Amino acid sequence: MFQFKLVLLGDSSVGKSSIVYRFVKNSFDEFRESTIGAAFLSQTIKVKESDDGEETVIKFEIWDTAGQERYKSLAPMYYRNANAALVVYDVTQQDSLVKAQSWVNELKNKVGDDDLVICLVGNKVDLCDEDAEDNKRAVGTEEARSYANEQNLLFYEVSAKTGLNVQQIFQSIGEKLFETKSEEIAAAKNRQIGSSNDHVNVQLQRASTNDPTSCCF
Amino acid sequence: MGIEQLRLSVKLGGASGDGGGERISGQRVGQPRKSPSAPSFHDKMYASRNTSEPVLPNHVPALNSSNSADNASLNDADASLSVINLYGDEVESRRADDGALQSPEEVLSDDPGLSSTPFGQRSSNSATDGPDLDRYGFKKQNNFITEKEYNRWWRDYSQYCVRRKHKWKLLLEKSGFPIDNDSPYRFPPRSEKLKRYVRKGIPAEWRGNAWWHFARGQEKLNKNKGVYDTLLSKMDELIRKKKVVADLDIIERDLNRTFPDNMHFQREAFQTEEPPMIKSLRRVLVAFSLYNPKIGYCQSMNFLAGLLLLFMDEERTFWMLVIITSKYLPGVHNVNLEGVNVDQGVLMLCVKEYLPEFWRFIVPFQNQTGSDSSPNSSPSLGKNEFLYKLPPITLCTASWFMSCFVGVLPVESTLRVWDCLFYEESNFLFKACLAILKLSEQELIKARSLKLLRHHSISDGGDYNKREIQLNQDETEMEIFQVIQTFPKRMLNPNDMFDKVIFKKRIPLNRLDQDEVDRCRKYVAAQRLKYKNYHELIGTSNRTNESGLNGSIINSGDRDDTKHSGLGSEENADAAAFDFNDDRTASDFVNNALSSEVYGFKRGLSGVHWNNSIKEKVRQMRKRKVSSNDQLMKN
Repeated sequence: MFQFKLVLLGDSSVGKSSIVYRFVKNSFDEFRESTIGAAFLSQTIKVKESDDGEETVIKFEIWDTAGQERYKSLAPMYYRNANAALVVYDVTQQDSLVKAQSWVNELKNKVGDDDLVICLVGNKVDLCDEDAEDNKRAVGTEEARSYANEQNLLFYEVSAKTGLNVQQIFQSIGEKLFETKSEEIAAAKNRQIGSSNDHVNVQLQRASTNDPTSCCF
Repeated sequence: MGIEQLRLSVKLGGASGDGGGERISGQRVGQPRKSPSAPSFHDKMYASRNTSEPVLPNHVPALNSSNSADNASLNDADASLSVINLYGDEVESRRADDGALQSPEEVLSDDPGLSSTPFGQRSSNSATDGPDLDRYGFKKQNNFITEKEYNRWWRDYSQYCVRRKHKWKLLLEKSGFPIDNDSPYRFPPRSEKLKRYVRKGIPAEWRGNAWWHFARGQEKLNKNKGVYDTLLSKMDELIRKKKVVADLDIIERDLNRTFPDNMHFQREAFQTEEPPMIKSLRRVLVAFSLYNPKIGYCQSMNFLAGLLLLFMDEERTFWMLVIITSKYLPGVHNVNLEGVNVDQGVLMLCVKEYLPEFWRFIVPFQNQTGSDSSPNSSPSLGKNEFLYKLPPITLCTASWFMSCFVGVLPVESTLRVWDCLFYEESNFLFKACLAILKLSEQELIKARSLKLLRHHSISDGGDYNKREIQLNQDETEMEIFQVIQTFPKRMLNPNDMFDKVIFKKRIPLNRLDQDEVDRCRKYVAAQRLKYKNYHELIGTSNRTNESGLNGSIINSGDRDDTKHSGLGSEENADAAAFDFNDDRTASDFVNNALSSEVYGFKRGLSGVHWNNSIKEKVRQMRKRKVSSNDQLMKN
């Protein structure tokens, strides 16, 4: 089993918690209480190893954060040592994409790790009906997609309400992490030779954890 | 006040006569009875309010149906009953005789001994009522507590409440304070006895008045007569002129995310009108953001205001919010959230002092981080390091402070903490935190032994080395976090916290008085500021990995805010005034200064067992402090 730390970032009320609840509990509430501080959840998925078709379990440790601007000062604690980040915006709010872009910049500047998988997620597509008169979409799919491509991000438009694409976000992040870390994993496994147990827990968090700065903010 | 009392008395007069009176008053009020004490206040506010919103119509029948579309039993009158009846005063038990609206559990005798109320019957009776609600309109069931568990607990706790209320009545009568219409507004002077009564819970219907009294709300209001109304007109004017009302947008986003499982805050799909509660909430929060732009609106204040609104009118809610954010939680909601960081530092000091066993869960590798001596790593900051680099558990406990436990503890437990908060001031928040952490110890031990078990199997016979343990430190932290995050949500019985920890002499929490907390806050704020200045002085070039620090301290800027959190300008100047020649001297010096200043808790007061080793430690600490001061002087 592999463990990855994943953090959700994005403007207030874009649906970060709702995406997590859809993924972890497969449930949705129209009105979810605003997140104060942070919440921690975990969920596992399976990914196929490429050659032999064997399945590997991946456990996501998910940090769900409060979206309001002033909580931003706490964010470094959440994304420290993260393997993946979901940067969420609301497809019906143009501003929220701007906020998302600033999160992407912050992650790239502050974390500065090429292995960090960032996924741009446009939520609330259930409110968009391209043919309807009251189509609430404010951020075009192509606009966001081209930004994501340019920045080398994964990109999904999802609906936490209907569940559309939510599982896929985590699946593709899991696969990408699995792929990029596979060498590291192999090395880690080799180190464990001598242990008779095949099911080795491998920690993939990057920073050395005996670094005294690593546990704190 | 006089008018409110009168109104209340008129209303209750009607209620004591027949159900019809209550229904009429309900219609007049135009909203469901929200709480033990609030509704008539809301009525008053709406009547005089000239807002940009359509003024609340006098009749809002739609609200009756919130949460019970197809059921007439949850109408205004019934909603009010669900609040009052469980306390079983005479009026209500007589009402029960008319039998039209009550379900069996609503019959409560005044005599605590006779108050047998098979509460369970309500759930079966009200199976058609839709989701079953507690006496404040919250859903009994949530992700952590089943309705069955709730009912089982409530059967006993409701009787406890009846007994406590009986005692309160005797106390007030003996002290010669009137209990007009079950709404006393004067309370006996402060005393150990009263404190004990408060700790055992203020009767729910009296809470609004009691909180207002103990927090000295009226004094604040008297000094600021008309301010709330002025703020509301300002808000109206801004909106009318289509000017930007700062924070209005983010307030709007949170309105429907405040107690979505409480019937008073809900809007069903078929309702066009917003619930009055939401309108009140908007006005209070916007008015506050105009009143105190330095705080503006901070997520979590919606929960504070929301809970207050269940117990008092808008204007009082507003002033209570002012009092909470300035007196009880200074700086906690400020833009840089430094106040909340300071309080987390204080909490960590308290854990270390009062719950040493628990402390070892939080800082399991204290020796490594505490006395790190390798020259290239972060300079050792001695025993105080956790004040600047707060342990991850504080990500969780920070929200305990910001919302004063709303959404952290189940509502009855939250209210018991609030009772004490307003009577005893903010030191009680720390006591409550410590009590929760203490109670969660068992869970942590369980989680830990599971983990060790897993380790054992992985390492195939105990061959795992130190490195592996260290690698798993993050994992450990997550486990602690998960336990601490979930544990309080299941603390259905408020008495656990009190009987098992707070009232226990073994854990001398009573020593943690307000003076101690104030001193401790000042100390932590000063230490954090020194640390911040220290980093600015030696530069961040070789410390770019300290993202946490960059974010939470250095970027947080704004000295005024730090001052706000109890820090005198003296320390400020003190730390900034040094002129360092080079980095090394600077870091050595500051290290010395910081690590030598160890906070000393008050000890040796009554009921404390003196211990020679503690005595010796204190003596050494004092000595060190003196010598470091000398050093400071020399430099």
